[in-house]
Amino acid sequence: MSDGEIVVSGLTKRYKTLLAVDGLSFSVRPGRVTGFLGPNGAGKTTTLRMLLNLVTPTSGTATIGGSRYADLRDPLRTVGAVLEASSAHKGRTGINHLRVICAAAGLPKKRADEALELVGLTPAAKRKFKGYSLGMRQRLGIAAAMLGDPRVLILDEPANGLDPEGIRWMRSLLQGLAREGRTVLVSSHLLSEMELLADDVVIIANGKLLRQGPMGEVVTSMTTTAHVRVRTPQADGLTAALSGLPGATVTPSSDNTLLVTGVEAPAIGKAALAAGVELHELTPERPDLEGVFLELTAGKAGIR
Amino acid sequence: MRLVRSELLKVRTVNTWWVFGLIALALWALTTGVNWLQTSVLANPPEGTPTDDAQFNAVREAPNIAANLYTSGQFLGLMIVMLIGVIVVTNEFAHQTATTTFLTNPRRTAVILAKLAAASIVGLLFWLVTTVLNFLVAPLILAAYDVPSQLGESALWQAILLNGLAYLLWAVIGVGFGVLIPSQLASTITTSALYIGGFFAGAILLGVFADRFGDWWNNLQLVIPPLASGLLVTGTDLPGSPPRWSGAAVLIAYALVAGLIGTLITRKRDIS
Repeated sequence: MSDGEIVVSGLTKRYKTLLAVDGLSFSVRPGRVTGFLGPNGAGKTTTLRMLLNLVTPTSGTATIGGSRYADLRDPLRTVGAVLEASSAHKGRTGINHLRVICAAAGLPKKRADEALELVGLTPAAKRKFKGYSLGMRQRLGIAAAMLGDPRVLILDEPANGLDPEGIRWMRSLLQGLAREGRTVLVSSHLLSEMELLADDVVIIANGKLLRQGPMGEVVTSMTTTAHVRVRTPQADGLTAALSGLPGATVTPSSDNTLLVTGVEAPAIGKAALAAGVELHELTPERPDLEGVFLELTAGKAGIR
Repeated sequence: MRLVRSELLKVRTVNTWWVFGLIALALWALTTGVNWLQTSVLANPPEGTPTDDAQFNAVREAPNIAANLYTSGQFLGLMIVMLIGVIVVTNEFAHQTATTTFLTNPRRTAVILAKLAAASIVGLLFWLVTTVLNFLVAPLILAAYDVPSQLGESALWQAILLNGLAYLLWAVIGVGFGVLIPSQLASTITTSALYIGGFFAGAILLGVFADRFGDWWNNLQLVIPPLASGLLVTGTDLPGSPPRWSGAAVLIAYALVAGLIGTLITRKRDIS
């Protein structure tokens, strides 16, 4: 049995008037949580659906542990996927929804009860799906994905509709599963959540890869976003003082606030002291995922 | 096999089966009432009925009266079974469960075959229940008009078994249509309209054409599926109508085409 690495290679999907995914290549390693990011319409969902044989690629391949999804002998025992929250018959109970899947996958019926237990839905087992909240639907989706105890998990926007407690639960669940050596690929818009959750990131826009790698590397790769925020009542004086420092660039931000790049905070403090300029704030701002993401995808978002 | 079990579990775990069962039961009761009246007319034709119409006389033969009663409920029952076939497929799209279904088994041909099998089994169950009901009621009606029970007649048993075949085939046709028209609402309305409209429009038009241009037109009953299924249960072959086996052949052809097209489309379709 293979290690569960996901490899996407030259994947392309062309619809009539739209190139949804354009020669996309990346890989997802086991034992880590990988965040799959991109603006709306970037092609995330199409990519995931091609990976799972729901959408036929125009060209290129996507494999899980070396096999295409369609060629997996026991797909549910290899890959668990949560693609949309509202995917169960409204009139069917949660437990029966899982039993239908167990029957089709040849899994024992008791896996349905165990999976429901895992996501904390046991009390609602016999309630019909239409009575489930959005958060409960997400949990049921995760239960369905866990039925076959798969070594690869693929989740499309799993945090949608979860309350803060639910999001924290999901985070620890996914990180725990990754620690067990499983491959976890999660798409999301929620960048702050992703920064807490993911070890690696894959960022795409317009169907093309922008960045791939460990979270820390990707975030620091955009050095231009690293700056120091300085607040002072004597903005002009400080600007003059800093002009003497090599490499310093000063950008006025708002009243009394300057954003300084190219020099570190101690050098700014020293220059201010020497010039007798009063400082109210001196904050080095590390680039964060959101800043990097917005910078990378600027002008590439949205409607195509 | 486990896919068929899963599909049957899908049918069993929602309300659809018993709602449709109740509707079918009500429609059966209605049809049987009509057939009762018809039997009374056929058994004792009113004064002045012409006695030289070959088809009318054939319909009046005891085995054929019995066949009509023992297969009572067919016309609307077949429609219900067809709609169940439609719903077995369109539910997957209406409730977005197609994703889960094809994730669980990426071999789509197998999934559609399982749906065809499950719908056929449900269709046969509907046939079985209706037939049991007919066995309870038909002898009473026949006895009321002094017609012998006819249970020794092979024509009667043929009609009953061919009726079962019709239930099975219409379930298959329903599945095919469900794939063709994935929208549940559009699909159920279109198929019902085609079924009922096809029956009446076909019967009326062909009747008019046969009067005008000759009896040959009656043979075209065959190509209209709801009329073809009626042919299966006439008892003996009626003069002026195509033979029963041809009705079966046409239905099988329709079911094969529907099933085949459905499978091919499903193999190609993007699920999103």
